[in-house]
Amino acid sequence: MDNLDAARLQMAFTLIFHIVFACIGMVMPFFMIIAHKKWLNTRNPIYLKLTKSWQKGVAIFFVTGAVSGTALSFELGLLWPEFMKYAGPIIGMPFSLEGAAFFVEAIALGFYLYGWDKIPEKFHWFTGVIVGLSGVASGILVVSANGWMNAPSGFDYINGQFLNIDPVKAFFNPAWFTQALHMTLAAFTATGFAVAGIHAYQIYKERQVELHKKAFKIAITFGAIAAILQPISGDLSAKDIAKRQPVKLAAMEAHYETQKGAPLYIGGIVDTENKTVSHKIEIPKALSFLAFGDFDAEVKGLNDFPDDVKPNVPMVHYAFQIMVGIGTLLMVVGGLFFISLKRKSWWQKNWYWLLFAILAPFGFIALEAGWIVTEVGRQPWIIHNVMRTKDAVTPMPGMIYSFYFYLCLYGILTVAVTWLMTRQIKSLNNSKTV
Amino acid sequence: MLYVVLFFLLVSLLLYVILAGADFGAGIVELFSSEQNQKITKKTVYSVMGPVWEANHIWIIILVVILWVGFPEFYNVLVVYLHIPLTLVLLGITMRGVAFVFRHYDAYKDQSQVVYDWMFRISSFATPIFLGITAGAMVSGELIITENYSNYSFAELFVNPWLNGFSILVGLFFAALCAFLTSILLIGETNETNRPIYVRKSKIANITVIILGFIVLSYGMIFEIKFVTDFLKNPYTISLVALSGILIFPLMKSIKNARRIVSRTLAGVQVVLIILAALITHYPYLIIASNTEMSIIESAATESTINVLGISLIVGGLIILPGVFHLFKSFKMIKILE
Repeated sequence: MDNLDAARLQMAFTLIFHIVFACIGMVMPFFMIIAHKKWLNTRNPIYLKLTKSWQKGVAIFFVTGAVSGTALSFELGLLWPEFMKYAGPIIGMPFSLEGAAFFVEAIALGFYLYGWDKIPEKFHWFTGVIVGLSGVASGILVVSANGWMNAPSGFDYINGQFLNIDPVKAFFNPAWFTQALHMTLAAFTATGFAVAGIHAYQIYKERQVELHKKAFKIAITFGAIAAILQPISGDLSAKDIAKRQPVKLAAMEAHYETQKGAPLYIGGIVDTENKTVSHKIEIPKALSFLAFGDFDAEVKGLNDFPDDVKPNVPMVHYAFQIMVGIGTLLMVVGGLFFISLKRKSWWQKNWYWLLFAILAPFGFIALEAGWIVTEVGRQPWIIHNVMRTKDAVTPMPGMIYSFYFYLCLYGILTVAVTWLMTRQIKSLNNSKTV
Repeated sequence: MLYVVLFFLLVSLLLYVILAGADFGAGIVELFSSEQNQKITKKTVYSVMGPVWEANHIWIIILVVILWVGFPEFYNVLVVYLHIPLTLVLLGITMRGVAFVFRHYDAYKDQSQVVYDWMFRISSFATPIFLGITAGAMVSGELIITENYSNYSFAELFVNPWLNGFSILVGLFFAALCAFLTSILLIGETNETNRPIYVRKSKIANITVIILGFIVLSYGMIFEIKFVTDFLKNPYTISLVALSGILIFPLMKSIKNARRIVSRTLAGVQVVLIILAALITHYPYLIIASNTEMSIIESAATESTINVLGISLIVGGLIILPGVFHLFKSFKMIKILE
């Protein structure tokens, strides 16, 4: 494996982990403050217990998210020094604001975690709200920086020089809004379903049912609403990509031949040799409509792009199918949850809880798949149409060892966090029923 | 605006050194304690640092962001040539953060605590050493800044600049500084019976700092390291170091009289003076390589970037600094209103 591939693998690997930690750290505070609010309103001790156990989860994920985020802020430079040298001054603004938002979050979390019975009740609750809001702000800011890599703006690229830098314009690049919206909803969907799934499993196992049902309801409400809204944001993203990164769209759909009234492929196996897709379900004219809002619009195919600007088509295509497939599934199940609020009898059924327990990891699978679509789909560029990833990588040889090193590090981290969370749940279940 | 940015760079560096330094020191003090004292230290440290320790470590993110946004070429040299020690710093920060959470948030307090404790202590010791090594490497005169990587071996470019006597000594010196900060901090946080432990520890740490400082300078003189010879020639540097040295006397007195705010402030000021002395020696040439010197000012980004960065920092600072202050105050880490 050459240096570039090793560095890319390491980056992918770190991001895959960080995204999970960061999303949970960003969304869970909202569950926590809802439970907290219910405790303040009802004085039902179950809500207090729930708040406190979620608060531990938030703390654990915040810190692991923070350290893996610190690692990333170093890694960006360590792995892609040439990228950072030029991109830093242009997209630094969202990053410095992200640092500020993250700082606010850490301060607020300090108040929240250690403020029980020490600071006024309402203010204490409010610090929890700040934790949540600043977490979401951090997420949006970072995604905006990623948006710039897809839609570089705020500079003139003349003879290999980045001139007339306008950091504000770079921040509000054409991709920032669609990406930030899509990611925020995805974070709520994934975390909502994951947390709800864990609690559903506990209900299925008949442990502390009353508490877990309350927890389930809070988490899944967020998850279900986000899942139902997500297709709207997905449509905005697709139309945006069709305009800005047509080759990415073509790879997502494994769409080889340029044609008017292009069909949409669902599933299918990509044959890169013959440039065809077999075993697919074909919906006539749907791709043209989804990309341009016109059934007869022309969609440019992969064959009309030079080879050296194409990403890995099968990977992008499969990842896209996984994302959309799971997204649709979660949207339907989210609908089922709202129906179940009317049909209370479902809440007594085992299948209901088992369904949500099984779905626990699916939101995150979709979320990771989505990032693979956007990141692998951007290749071979690190800055779309401006700088190639191979020109940005560190000149230091031996990155493969660095990759192994991070593999071990994050492997240990995952095992450790999982172990810690299991112990939290176990201790919660073993505690006396309130 | 450039000077606003430099000001924030300096402030976040100093705050990181002092706040995170005291954090690292906690693990180091624990590492070099008897088993009985380790338990006391662990408890005291948690009660002091618990609410703020996360905030303490964010300063390095701010530091890194300012560097790569505002001074991209300078940052580029660090991340390319000091890749290995920075990765080790990163490993230390990760291990430490995780160990800290685990030992305080694990739902069960059982045998696994032993693992967390050792992870915490060792990474607390190793991280400041590698941070110091990185800082030492910047001025060691061993860096080779080049466009033609193939003219040099891997070791010449990526290992020798930091794996040398001078850099390692600087690393040890920084770790000793951290232990010094913490032991002073802990004197004020513990009860009457345990106080002598930390008074003794702070003396040991203080002496270690002085001895190591002396060794670093002598080593530099013997091997004619440019940074050290300049350090000893620069009148500002010498005055700052001398001032820091003189402060030992009031410090010892305030420790004796159990005036904890005064002693903390004095210890903090001492460390700040030492860092400033090191920075001023060669300012603005903060990287001294074998073939060139690199000015932080000259590597600044274009004006529009610096302006936006400066404004972001001012706005961010207005939100963050009062927040940090209140956090420290609410949990009685600052007792000015006492």
